[in-house]
Amino acid sequence: MMDRRTFLKIAGMGSMAFAAGCSPDPDRKLFSLVHAPEDMVTGQPQWYATTCRECPAGCGVIAKNREGRVIKLEGNPAHPVNRGTLCMRGQAALQGLYDPDRITSPLRKENSGWRPVTNDDALTLIRRKTAAAARKGPDRIQFWTDVMGAPLHELAAETMAGWNAAGPTVYEPFGYDALKAANEALFGIDGLFAYRMEDADVLVSFGADFLETWLSPVSYARQFKTMHRVRKGRKGIFFHVGPYQSLTGVNADAWVGCHPDTETIIALALIQIGLDVGRAGHLPFELKDTLETIVTRYPKAAMLEKTGVPEPVFDRLATRLFQAQNPLVLGTGAGAYGVNGYATNLAVNLLNYILNPALPLFAFEQRYRVETAAPRSVIRQRVDDLRDGQTDVLFVHNANPVHTLPPDSGIAAALQDPSVYVVSFSNVMDETTALADLVLPVRSPLESWDAYEGVAGALGIQQPTLGRLSEAPALGDVLLATAAGGRTAADSYKTYLPQAMNRHSGVIGQVSDWIAILQAGGRFTSPPAVVPPNDPARIDPAVVSQAFNGLADRPKGPVLIAAPSIRYLDGRGANKSWLNEIPDPLTQIAWQTPVLLHPDTAADLKVTAGDVVTLEAAGETLEAPAYDWAGVVPGVMVMAAGQGHTGLGRYARNQGSNPFRLMGGTPRTTGSDVLFMAHAITVKATGASVKLAATSGSRVQHDRKIAMQIPLQELRKPTDHGKPGLTMWDFPLTLPIPEGYDHKRDFYPPHDHEGYRWAMVVDLDRCIGCNACAAACYAENNIGVVGQERIVEGREMAWLQIQRYQDAEDGARVNFLPMMCQQCDNAPCESVCPVYAPHHNKEGLNNQIYNRCIGTRFCSQNCPYKVRRFNWYSWEWPKPLDLQLNPDVTVRAKGVMEKCSFCIQRIKAAHNVAKNEKRPVRDGEVVPACMQTCPTGAIAFGSLMDPESRVRKLVDDPRAYQVMGYLNTKPAVIYLKKVVQEV
Amino acid sequence: MDPIAFLQKKWQGLVANATPLFWTAVSIVLVAAFLFFFYTPPQSMIGPEQPIPFSHRLHAGHKAIQCQYCHPYVGHSNHPGLPPVEKCLHCHNYIIANHWWIQEEHRYFNTQTPTPWVKVNFLPEHVLFNHQRHIRFGIECQACHGVVEAQDRIKGKHFKMGFCINCHEEKKVNLGCWLACHS
Repeated sequence: MMDRRTFLKIAGMGSMAFAAGCSPDPDRKLFSLVHAPEDMVTGQPQWYATTCRECPAGCGVIAKNREGRVIKLEGNPAHPVNRGTLCMRGQAALQGLYDPDRITSPLRKENSGWRPVTNDDALTLIRRKTAAAARKGPDRIQFWTDVMGAPLHELAAETMAGWNAAGPTVYEPFGYDALKAANEALFGIDGLFAYRMEDADVLVSFGADFLETWLSPVSYARQFKTMHRVRKGRKGIFFHVGPYQSLTGVNADAWVGCHPDTETIIALALIQIGLDVGRAGHLPFELKDTLETIVTRYPKAAMLEKTGVPEPVFDRLATRLFQAQNPLVLGTGAGAYGVNGYATNLAVNLLNYILNPALPLFAFEQRYRVETAAPRSVIRQRVDDLRDGQTDVLFVHNANPVHTLPPDSGIAAALQDPSVYVVSFSNVMDETTALADLVLPVRSPLESWDAYEGVAGALGIQQPTLGRLSEAPALGDVLLATAAGGRTAADSYKTYLPQAMNRHSGVIGQVSDWIAILQAGGRFTSPPAVVPPNDPARIDPAVVSQAFNGLADRPKGPVLIAAPSIRYLDGRGANKSWLNEIPDPLTQIAWQTPVLLHPDTAADLKVTAGDVVTLEAAGETLEAPAYDWAGVVPGVMVMAAGQGHTGLGRYARNQGSNPFRLMGGTPRTTGSDVLFMAHAITVKATGASVKLAATSGSRVQHDRKIAMQIPLQELRKPTDHGKPGLTMWDFPLTLPIPEGYDHKRDFYPPHDHEGYRWAMVVDLDRCIGCNACAAACYAENNIGVVGQERIVEGREMAWLQIQRYQDAEDGARVNFLPMMCQQCDNAPCESVCPVYAPHHNKEGLNNQIYNRCIGTRFCSQNCPYKVRRFNWYSWEWPKPLDLQLNPDVTVRAKGVMEKCSFCIQRIKAAHNVAKNEKRPVRDGEVVPACMQTCPTGAIAFGSLMDPESRVRKLVDDPRAYQVMGYLNTKPAVIYLKKVVQEV
Repeated sequence: MDPIAFLQKKWQGLVANATPLFWTAVSIVLVAAFLFFFYTPPQSMIGPEQPIPFSHRLHAGHKAIQCQYCHPYVGHSNHPGLPPVEKCLHCHNYIIANHWWIQEEHRYFNTQTPTPWVKVNFLPEHVLFNHQRHIRFGIECQACHGVVEAQDRIKGKHFKMGFCINCHEEKKVNLGCWLACHS
């Protein structure tokens, strides 16, 4: 007799077998290679050193290639700029490579639309058009590009010369015009150089957002945290001066909020103090006299009134600055400045010179490549040339002026003019490419040979990190193929490159030199120190007085600032789904670009977060949801640039709005010819509101023990945790190891750990909230991208989030907290699962067994940290984004729960190596993806069972605590409190 | 009862139940026929047809070529690796070089086409098997893959969790869900 259970089993098997038999799996082929590449072992990664080209900084990258496809980018530890780390844009560079909206073949515009043509047809067209233009006369061809490395730039210039035209126009929307002009005025350097920030003890920034986009953000993030770390009971001090806080501003010890365009007066007031206290003895009499005349125009009372800075705040800034041993003052950000940008930067340069005439923190020899960007005046001239029929052919490479220039620049009309033949080398149909006549997609940086020296001395190499995804040629090869008269001997750019590099520096004597460069990722040298061409003392006082004579007053009426975005930079990253999905660090809003305004301004407008406002300036309007933020001075609206695309691709189109559109029609002054501040805008509430895709549940922590801080002076006291108790504030730090077991407190028996107990220590004093770790986590762990609507529903999948908590009293003070699965020893998730899907393993990890999970979501309910993520859908990776998936990590399907695994695949890889070598896993051998990429080294990982491990030593720090440790969950993620100081 | 009467009675019984008996017999014959035709054809004993009729029995058995010659990464990677077409031709440029199927192999080589071998061993997607650990532990290939050297076309296997767990328990090795198999 068959019992009911057996019957059901057999019936079930029968129907399963029937169903399975009817759906043959299509992926049942194993493809063998024709030739085996020498260095490829299936199942093992190969690493290729190359250079990140997501911004002009040029960080070194090593690309992890598995079975022919790049799956992860990591910083190149040998590269002097980033030393092994990357920012979130660098991590997301892969999504540019695998962009599902990449154009696959050249396209020619015809009346009916785009018609695919072959590469050869496109090259023939280019040759014909350029030949005709060159015959007509000189300078009838333009080439717009982003910053290129010297070899490619020279090849482009050579090619252009063959066409009887001037060299390429380097167009960077955030081009540092004001800073360059100020450097030219004082030092005779029409360029940009590095600062030795790590050696400073007091740092003042007049808006430079050096943790986000400014010059070399990864490098400065590391240097900032070096100068800002606690040493002998003291910490470096950082003041951020400006009308709004950026991420850099919230990391300051004090944000000095001032009215827009009044930073100059603050810098002048500091100069005045320098003159008064006799720090300017080394200045020539005439210069000193000129400065005296200028600064007396702004007596302190008037200065405070004009700038809106409270007197005690200014006094503290001045006191700290003039007490400093090694002060460093930085100028304005790349974009966010108004008409006084040049004056501010000149005042800052003068202030640095007054503080220390030796300028020890100025590395004049380390020049940034981004200095080759053309000033906006030149760009404007080029647009005029296009419009006035002076140009017949325009090449556009990695530039999107239609999106980044305001409409009144006339760029769109100029491109649409039939007399200009526009050739775009873009891979995606961005706004500029949409107006082109011919699109010839070229290979992306991760597929190309090239060399790029982001800063002098750091000559990074670029090499293909994978095979070819399409038939697209490299730009270098296009130039070689179309160069008039075959001027260059090389048959391909790959052979041209070492020759060109040799011409420069003679670095490649033999093939082995070239191979050594490829292996190291470049050639890294320390250029010899140089003195600036002009002695700052010899600056013409007339230049100084002229700079400060026409100082504009603070703008009347509200202003809108278009700020460079940590996520999209100027908009080039907008079609990368990770960059959209990872929320903005400050607002915690994903996919959307809100307009930040002061709570008082919001109250005046009667809007709250999410209410849509209309901004109008220069005849242009845009709508955006409002977000009240205490880190903005009243009357100022701030929008991050980058969104509001009409093209580019599926993730960018119609997401957010574009503040560049409102940046036209503003006054121009010398030196700061480009403005990212719209004056006298009209702001109106529309009455509509949208649901913000915010990932934060709350802005404050409701007095819970979550993101903690400790005043610097208390750190000096000997550690005294007091008598341990059972309340929130006196519950002791309880390590997730057997010694953390207390039979009076614990209901469950202690876990036995075999050899290892993996744990993480996160130093909140080093975390700047940049979200690079979150991006690395998305890349490493195949985390689904859910989109704006799902985030509004609270269904984001991020395993690691940087949570932001505003201070309950002062909203401009912010704490960041990287939050991921805490791998608790007493894990609340484990005890409620009916099927034991979350399960404690012998090395202390909380395993989530996907194939066992039935999706009750009880675990998520019971998790006090809310780090478990449920797959409400099967997420999609539109081709070829799926090529990026990490083959060592299971792709989770609909209906299962998932969460941070401490990068179990990396732990297993370390075990594997250790077993092969018959030894235990060494401390520091396991490096999770988040720790690997952290620019400031805030994360440490290791085993608590090893008394000598780094994490075991770090948990003895008096700052160590566990988030909500009083629940006795015994988390294995131990945080070190942020050290705050009153300045 | 005499035997005749007994048989008569049985016969009558059979006649009376002729219909159900007939259908029972038909069912038995059909099932038997189904099983016979399902399991006895030669194709059912061996693996699927491959693009090149490669025989493991000949190469691994008769010629006694080591598994690692063609699957070289098995001792130092997750995946054992498949031989590239050029490796086949290392030998077959000399051995039966003009055979029709070797000519086919040349066509793959000359047109730079990867050979679409039909996969026979299956592991669920959420399992990550590491060959290296097993080989270094001293597990024979045959322990999981069967007597490969006796099969022309490999039949392969759908590996199930019980297969792994049994062995792991028996050998007292890693049973951690993540640490051993999943991630």
